[in-house]
Amino acid sequence: MFLISMLIWATALLGAVMTVWALAWAVQRGEFRNLRQGAASIFDAGEPIGQQTDFFPGAKR
Amino acid sequence: MMSLPEGPNESKLQQISRIRIDDSSRVPVSLWFASSVFWLLMGSVAALISSVKMHNPDFLGNIEWLTFGRIRPVHLDIVFFGWSSMAAVGCLLWLQARLCHVRLPWPLLLSGLAMVWNVGVCVGVMAVLAGHGSSIEYLEFPAYCAPFFAIPALGVLAANVKMYVTKESQHTYVSQWYLLAATVWLPILYVTAMGCTYFGLVQGVSQAITNWWFGHNALGLWVTPIAVATAYYLIPKVTGKPVHSYHLSLLGFWSLAIFYNWAGTHHLTGGPLPAWTITVGVVGSMMMFIPVITVAINHHMTMRGVFHMLKTSPTLRFTVFGSVMYTVASFQGSLEALRSHQEITHFTQYTIGHAHLGLYGFFSMIMFGAMYYIFPRITNNEWSSARLIKVHFWGSSIGVLAYGIGLCWAGWWQGVMMNDPAIPFLDTVAYIRPYLIMRSVSGTGMTIAHIAFAISVWRILSRHHFVMSGPTLFTTTRPAWREFVNEQEKREQAELEAQS
Repeated sequence: MFLISMLIWATALLGAVMTVWALAWAVQRGEFRNLRQGAASIFDAGEPIGQQTDFFPGAKR
Repeated sequence: MMSLPEGPNESKLQQISRIRIDDSSRVPVSLWFASSVFWLLMGSVAALISSVKMHNPDFLGNIEWLTFGRIRPVHLDIVFFGWSSMAAVGCLLWLQARLCHVRLPWPLLLSGLAMVWNVGVCVGVMAVLAGHGSSIEYLEFPAYCAPFFAIPALGVLAANVKMYVTKESQHTYVSQWYLLAATVWLPILYVTAMGCTYFGLVQGVSQAITNWWFGHNALGLWVTPIAVATAYYLIPKVTGKPVHSYHLSLLGFWSLAIFYNWAGTHHLTGGPLPAWTITVGVVGSMMMFIPVITVAINHHMTMRGVFHMLKTSPTLRFTVFGSVMYTVASFQGSLEALRSHQEITHFTQYTIGHAHLGLYGFFSMIMFGAMYYIFPRITNNEWSSARLIKVHFWGSSIGVLAYGIGLCWAGWWQGVMMNDPAIPFLDTVAYIRPYLIMRSVSGTGMTIAHIAFAISVWRILSRHHFVMSGPTLFTTTRPAWREFVNEQEKREQAELEAQS
């Protein structure tokens, strides 16, 4: 039973190890460089910064 | 030759790309969302029956399959598997496609998986009503229901990974980290917990640990990341303001990924577990202050200077409400993990109040906001009535606040009374009864809100009120764009045929 309950903790530990590995992988890939540009990556010329994109139906823009 | 709406070329191409991505997700995302709204209504009915039984135990008391021990787990499972998970998957698929700048892969397969998931919920609900539930919270559905959830979860994971590895965007936006992680975590959690529980691997104390490792993580590592990811996309997108601190947003994700997994055992404080097991849960819960504070700073500071938009945007109204409730419920949850706090609140209505502030006030409100944003874009149709949206918002927000605050207040004093040996137990029951009635009243308010929402969803899907342009659809789907997209798709198809 002790070994079985350890299985859950081992799975939890595996999750943490996988997370740390994923973090290292992301750093190596350069995902954390130029973060200012990253924040703006959801905007583009069609839906630029400063433009509201949702309104109540029937409302005037 | 058709002429394009005016604007720079780059802008035109991005608009067309956006429309095509939204088109690709129309059928599967609509199916996941529409199913979730159906289960939301069913879950509300089960909730009301359970709630009334708390203050009027004879209500429907002579119907075996509607006894409290069955209808309450049915409410919980419908809300978790039917409403929350199906809404989360719909949102995840659309959002990942948008952020990767790729069309949703395998739309037919993903639609089929939605149907498989629906069958799983139906079979599970009938089994629990028939008395075949397991009595292990969040895992009440019998073992034979597991494939109905495990297989679609793996399919959604595969689609999510495919979108990510074929992405055309350069950067991995913070929401994408949350979405990828959630789809990896769910199958691991579900298969491990079901395997351990139903194949007799864990019993007694170990079973309780497994139960709350799954129960807590299913909320924190499955539905929570998807709602946080959605808020990280929708708040900046609707307001037109980038996230306040992108550095903090990444710190928030990675700290959640590392710490949340350890928090589940705080549900067993006071139970016959080794003390260190509980301590791990308490420490994990305290560490959760880091991701919660980062998300709180980001969501609330991004809104600074644009609060007036809450008047004009339904999406923002729901999403910002949900974000505020994330901060409230998470702070409350971390403090609740402390042994000194649990001495009073354990086994009281306080926990129920907290659970609803979290899963409804935070998660559900963000999902409502997301659906108000996504449905018009994938159906190319405008919402039919601003009044219905307002009924939905005020019914659900006032309802959940009355529910959460009322039960937390009542639960706290219930705990204080129960700890006093001079107070007879029945006095605590009499004290809490008015609050239980108030719970049924606020639940009725939320159910009315859900009916208003379901009417809106039915109208937008059935094209009862068909308007292709309007305030929400002002640029992305107006008719001129749609015609051009159709033209381009035909041209590409012809080129493909000529090549083959």
